[in-house]
Amino acid sequence: MKEHIIFYSVVKKHFIELRRYFLNTLMTISGVFILFLLVFMGLRSFEAGTETLKGSIIGFAMWTFAVGAYSEMSWGLLQEARDGTLEQLYLTPSSFRRISGYRVFASFLFQFVLFIVFLIIMMVTTGQYLYLDPGIIVLVGLTLLSVYGIGYVMGGLSLVFKKVQAANQILMFMFILFLVLPTITDHKIIYFVPISWGNVLLNKMMVDGLSLFDLTLVEHAILILNSFAYLVLGLIVFRFMENIAKKRGLLGHY
Amino acid sequence: MKALEVKDLYKNYSRWRGKTTKAVDGVSFSVEEGEIVGFLGPNGAGKTTTIKCICGLIEPNSGDINIFGIDAVSDTRKAVENTSAVLEGNRNIYWRLTTRENLEFFAGLHGRSKKETKSEMDKLLERFDLKEKEDTSARKLSRGMQQKLALACALIRGTDLLLLDEPTLGLDVKTSKELRRFVMQLAVDKGKTILLSSHDMNVVEDVCERVIIINDGKVLADDKVRNLKRLFDVHLYDFILRGKPSLDEIEEYHEVIDVRYENNKTRLKVSLKDSGSFYRLIDHLRDSGMELEKVENLDTHLEEIFMNIVEEELGG
Repeated sequence: MKEHIIFYSVVKKHFIELRRYFLNTLMTISGVFILFLLVFMGLRSFEAGTETLKGSIIGFAMWTFAVGAYSEMSWGLLQEARDGTLEQLYLTPSSFRRISGYRVFASFLFQFVLFIVFLIIMMVTTGQYLYLDPGIIVLVGLTLLSVYGIGYVMGGLSLVFKKVQAANQILMFMFILFLVLPTITDHKIIYFVPISWGNVLLNKMMVDGLSLFDLTLVEHAILILNSFAYLVLGLIVFRFMENIAKKRGLLGHY
Repeated sequence: MKALEVKDLYKNYSRWRGKTTKAVDGVSFSVEEGEIVGFLGPNGAGKTTTIKCICGLIEPNSGDINIFGIDAVSDTRKAVENTSAVLEGNRNIYWRLTTRENLEFFAGLHGRSKKETKSEMDKLLERFDLKEKEDTSARKLSRGMQQKLALACALIRGTDLLLLDEPTLGLDVKTSKELRRFVMQLAVDKGKTILLSSHDMNVVEDVCERVIIINDGKVLADDKVRNLKRLFDVHLYDFILRGKPSLDEIEEYHEVIDVRYENNKTRLKVSLKDSGSFYRLIDHLRDSGMELEKVENLDTHLEEIFMNIVEEELGG
């Protein structure tokens, strides 16, 4: 079996679809950018410090990234079920979990480019400049694993329960809470919830100018454990829900 | 070699308060390599559940499924290597991708590269009259074209076993006939093994040599179409009579399929089991003073056979 061909096909399809929906993507980004400007101006009117302003740029960019990544998993699956193509993705000599992994990879590539472009536009617009060390790719990637894990959980739930949009919207607001949490509290909870600790480390790199190697081993370990725990949990829940969907004959339903 | 073997397949769905619905109730059948077999049954008979169990989309409660000798229940992924399916008509394709992009994607999903399938793809586009629409988004195609594309996408995967669940559903007569012709050619020219489920008796009768009739999750008949026709040797006759006969007496002894009155003539379509029934009806008509203008022996269709089998089953 030629797994590389399957990988290439899935990634290529993802980018073709993005291109077809370019205008829609552009308008969504513009909407998020306007929202960011409003928040930023609000913060400035409260005479927030430079660190807070810079933190808001990172937080906003991360939130956009997280929502995009999460939607790819949960909303993407629902869309496939609704269009009737989900069952076709199971008819492959590869496995559906691998196929969704390739989709995650394609989505990450696109979202990362968007993240950087978004950061640059925000920096230029606000005049608040951040350090853009190449190491942030690793940090953002690791941080996002937890989001993909939650995406797998919700994707699995949507295979069985179908209507999970309300939970999706709640989670989008939860991501804001997780990103803001380190600015509110020093409590150890930030080690356990998704994306909070990653955001703390990103601030260290992009605001304080540290490199990936300046971060301590413990700081790295917390992020890796947190992210992989969510990803593994997501995959386990997804597999469990997938089995239920197969037992109940729900894969193709919407 | 057997391309597909299904043995004692059971699938129950649990409902509220411990109740279960038997969707598939001990189904067994096999399909030889290169054979086209029809899977016929009314709504809710268990056709789609059986097909989805075969391709691993539904987990059966028990039973064995072998695809080209590979256990499809325990090793679904390996079995799927040689299986493709068209489920529910025009769904199955990406509406945002163009015709050619869909073909490329589904070929790729089975590990077949663009280069490897280029000429095959061109032939399929020509064959299905989709060449002119190769750069058109699938959502802009007519329903018939979308269904043809769905079938082409299943074919481009290059598998030997093809499961077609209601492939002609919602198609106009012309497109449906085109598709039937193409399905037949697939088995003859390419040696593909096809299991085709359909409500449409004409489709199954036209395309399949053998038919499996299923109802309430059980196989009621599994035989060649011609054998079933012989077994249910039902003869349909079209009588044209002058005047209006008393139907009550005719219906008491014979199965009346259809009656039409027009211009003081009666067109009576009856199903007669043997020649004795035929003579009895003629005697009856003569005794009633009816003048017979014309009698025509109609061909037995799969539809009548199907109705007979299902009715016999219902009658216990």
